Amino acid sequence: MLFQLDNVTKTYGKITALKSLAVEVGPGAVGLLGPNGSGKTTLIRTLLGLINIDAGTGSVLDMDIHSQRLDIRQAVGFVPEDECLFPAVDGVDFVAYAGELGGMSRTDCLQRAHEVLDYVGLGEARYRRVETYSTGMKQRLKLASAIIHDPQLLILDEPTNGMDPDGRRDLLELSRDLAHNKGMSLLFSSHLLPDVEAVCDHVVVLGRGQLLAQGRIQDMKQVHHRFFEVRLKDDPERFVRHLRTLGCTAEPRDDLLLVQIPADQTQALLWQTAAATGGQIRFLRPQRSTLEEVFLKAVAEV
Amino acid sequence: MPIFDQGYQHWDGQLSGHGWRWLTVTRQGVRAQMKNRLTRVVLLFALLPAIGLALTLIAWGLLEQQADFIRPLFAFLRLPRELMEGPKAFRQPIWSAAFHFFFSFEMFFSMILVMLVGPGLISQDLRFNAIPLYFSRPLRRFDYFLGKLGVIGFFLALVAIVPAVLAYLLGVLFSLDFSVFKDTWRLLAASIGYGLVIVLSAGTLMLALSSLSRNSRYVGLFWVGIWIISGTVGGVLSGMHEESAEHEARRAEFELARLAGQGARKKGFDQNEWMRIQEKANAARAEAARSNWRPLFSYTDNLHRMRAAFFDTHSSFVLLGKVGGRNNRELADQLVPQYPWYWSAGVLAGLFGISIWILTTRVKSLDRLK
Repeated sequence: MLFQLDNVTKTYGKITALKSLAVEVGPGAVGLLGPNGSGKTTLIRTLLGLINIDAGTGSVLDMDIHSQRLDIRQAVGFVPEDECLFPAVDGVDFVAYAGELGGMSRTDCLQRAHEVLDYVGLGEARYRRVETYSTGMKQRLKLASAIIHDPQLLILDEPTNGMDPDGRRDLLELSRDLAHNKGMSLLFSSHLLPDVEAVCDHVVVLGRGQLLAQGRIQDMKQVHHRFFEVRLKDDPERFVRHLRTLGCTAEPRDDLLLVQIPADQTQALLWQTAAATGGQIRFLRPQRSTLEEVFLKAVAEV
Repeated sequence: MPIFDQGYQHWDGQLSGHGWRWLTVTRQGVRAQMKNRLTRVVLLFALLPAIGLALTLIAWGLLEQQADFIRPLFAFLRLPRELMEGPKAFRQPIWSAAFHFFFSFEMFFSMILVMLVGPGLISQDLRFNAIPLYFSRPLRRFDYFLGKLGVIGFFLALVAIVPAVLAYLLGVLFSLDFSVFKDTWRLLAASIGYGLVIVLSAGTLMLALSSLSRNSRYVGLFWVGIWIISGTVGGVLSGMHEESAEHEARRAEFELARLAGQGARKKGFDQNEWMRIQEKANAARAEAARSNWRPLFSYTDNLHRMRAAFFDTHSSFVLLGKVGGRNNRELADQLVPQYPWYWSAGVLAGLFGISIWILTTRVKSLDRLK
């Protein structure tokens, strides 16, 4: 089990950040979704033992969140949301210092700092003062300092905030590589659903401090058996007109057609229509809910 | 080539326990400060008083052995015959005075070093928002503060405690007499104790100031203000009070003498009367000094008062004042503050408490909403 929380409540004055939250998450790449104020950051801080919860119990990597806070922080890597730096150091010293704070020896830290800086693509900038790094470089630097001790669990809090498209793509690729090729479990908190979808296999959706949905992303993206995405080789006008005479609806969406067939029909109807109108179907698949739809539906239910 | 193809190696080394984690913060801070050339230069200059202390103790040890080559030097310095002929009897007061002057000079360098090393310790972390980076690692707030205090402690120890201990050991070595331990072990303990008082007091005060601003220049200026301005205010107020007491006493004595002279139909005062009046005025000044709380305004005067208490310098100067059959307490009274040491201890303890409160208020844990 990656982490498990049972009946966890956390309030800040009159604000309830987590409300009797119970959640169990296994190893893998897990996305943490939720609107602003849903309790994502509080959940992360609870897992890291950075805050005192009002009630509840839990564990991270089988370590108790009450009594083994320092052990948890030693075993876990964390990339905070805000722009934060150790001042007046170069890239290597920054990462090595992070490793030393985690309990690594100075020699190991220096050797490992060079490795992880190469890995995140900052090898050329390793001797530059970190204050001169761009936003994207700072994010990768934080990632490097979070993985210097090769943690079992890496927590990323809004890691792509404020990044340009190239930097964002690089960070997502790195995160995905860590999770899928390097065997590191990830808790990836983000507002950006495509980011979560690009990196994670599982998702946990929070709203108002409560668990709204949880599961494998593929399972949550429900298949709609009456809706199909279709692309034809040529102009689809005749195809569309014919479908409408058969009681179907067909709406263009990007370069596809979104076709709804009557309840008593199957997708064979589409092939028959194409044959009848002389069209060639080049792409056909049942429509799935997007993660965005799943998210919006879950949030709307609160 | 995608950047992650450059490779990622797993690491299975050992992680240390949490007990000495603060030392990592200290080491990093010391490494960073040692890169500053000015700090290194000040450290070098700060060794000069230490060399002076060591030379004094070594020379006295040699004099105790009546070494031929050292006697002309002391004779040249017009050392009283009593000291020249029986240096062992004055070992404790001479060593005590030597440590007193060493720490007196070293106070200046300590203040400069704290000004160079301290301002950026927390203010830069606040400016670059480094606190979440620290606290998201296995580090408690106490470890963070202790680590930062350790940076100041390292430099102050380097210019105060370490030279004092080394000089003490050198002095012992050159005296070739084990009774020196019996006579002077208190000075060794006092050096360490007083050094720790400076570290704790100046360290926490500087950290508190550093946590008040994100601009370390302002913090440095604030520190200079506390050091110079508080010293000036304390000195001026204290001087005015003692001058005023002396003046009042002199005026009263003149008045009494004038009335007595009128009764005796005498004009003017003779020399004995002048001397008596001056003695009365001096006594009034000394009495005023004993209850003068105005030096408490000065941060460094409080540290000086603690130093006098640790090294018992007043007794030593009184003893040295008696050399040659004189009974000259004035030197001791001028060199050593007279008010009770626990007043200064109270002020320093209060400043320590306020500093801790500021630190815990300004550097919060992450258990709060943004």
